[in-house]
Amino acid sequence: MSVYAVDKLCRRVVHDAALRDALARSPEETLRAAAPALSEEEVQLLLAGDVGRLSRLGANSFLLHQLGRFHLLGLDLPTHGRRMRAEYAAERAARWGGPR
Amino acid sequence: MAEIVGGFGVPHVPHFPSWVAGGHPLAPEISRLYDGVAGHLRAAEPDTLVVFTSDHYNEFFETVPIFCIGVADSASGASDYDTIPQREVRLDAELAHDLHAALVQGGFDVAMSRELAFDHTVIGPLHFLVPDDDVAVVPVFVSGFMRPLPTARRCYALGAAIRDGVERLGGRRRVALLASGSVSLEIGGPWVDEGSHTGVPEPAWLDRVVELLRAGDVDTLVAEATDERLALAGNAAGELLDWIVMLGAIDQSPPAFLESQPAFGHAFAAWPA
Repeated sequence: MSVYAVDKLCRRVVHDAALRDALARSPEETLRAAAPALSEEEVQLLLAGDVGRLSRLGANSFLLHQLGRFHLLGLDLPTHGRRMRAEYAAERAARWGGPR
Repeated sequence: MAEIVGGFGVPHVPHFPSWVAGGHPLAPEISRLYDGVAGHLRAAEPDTLVVFTSDHYNEFFETVPIFCIGVADSASGASDYDTIPQREVRLDAELAHDLHAALVQGGFDVAMSRELAFDHTVIGPLHFLVPDDDVAVVPVFVSGFMRPLPTARRCYALGAAIRDGVERLGGRRRVALLASGSVSLEIGGPWVDEGSHTGVPEPAWLDRVVELLRAGDVDTLVAEATDERLALAGNAAGELLDWIVMLGAIDQSPPAFLESQPAFGHAFAAWPA
């Protein structure tokens, strides 16, 4: 996974309204046209809105949350939070010893 | 000569301006806390406000300076949130230029940005503290998000160098210093709270920082603000480094105003000279 390509896409989402429109209208086509290019795994994880797994693979979690902020790829902020907490449930339990 | 007339610290939650304008239940508390700092800032009568802030991947992304000073006539924002009233901010380009030169010639290799925009980390605090255009701004960016971060000791030394640089400048100018940032804050990462995309992973660290600030014990704060400690405190907790730069430029003393907002992992403080 290239990480930088995912981070850059998420960063562009904040500042590029045309990109947001394209992602909302034609998500797969837009992701496959991204520069720098996304890997097939990254495209599939982004289409699934699997921000937890993308974070696990090294993508920047702060930048990933911008997808949910702008309601892209099936995400919103509560969904983003739920998926991130689920991905890191084991680490959370180890750190805090229970639900938090 | 120029003189430093106080140090100040506030958070920059991007929703606070719209919450206050829209009568959010927390609006009175948010207004009271910003007003607590703003009163001291206004009383200091600054001509220029040096703002220490950590860019949130908006201004610097492909290239990321560890420290950078904005040397321009103006900058607009907020570039990342249109829910904050947009404004053009007047910058003190002369002071920024001279301070940049003093820092580099004094051994601090700070980068320079000659064309820049501000994100919510600058525009948010200015919205509450400097609502009019009567105080010019000099932005100093501290890399608080993308590791490797500068060490707390290096940030403290930068503050001391800034103080030295300001006090050596010619002309009569009253300079206030503002740190913009949180202490413990996770945004979008593994340690967010249930039902939210943010969280406060280490409330005990916020309490400890407030305790040390209240005691005027900045040396201990610098020693304890290790990279490991900041990482545990959240992916935005590097913003404490902005406070440490500011603290390096003022005398170590208890603040005249200090209050935390534990639910958000941040604090408001004022050290008038």
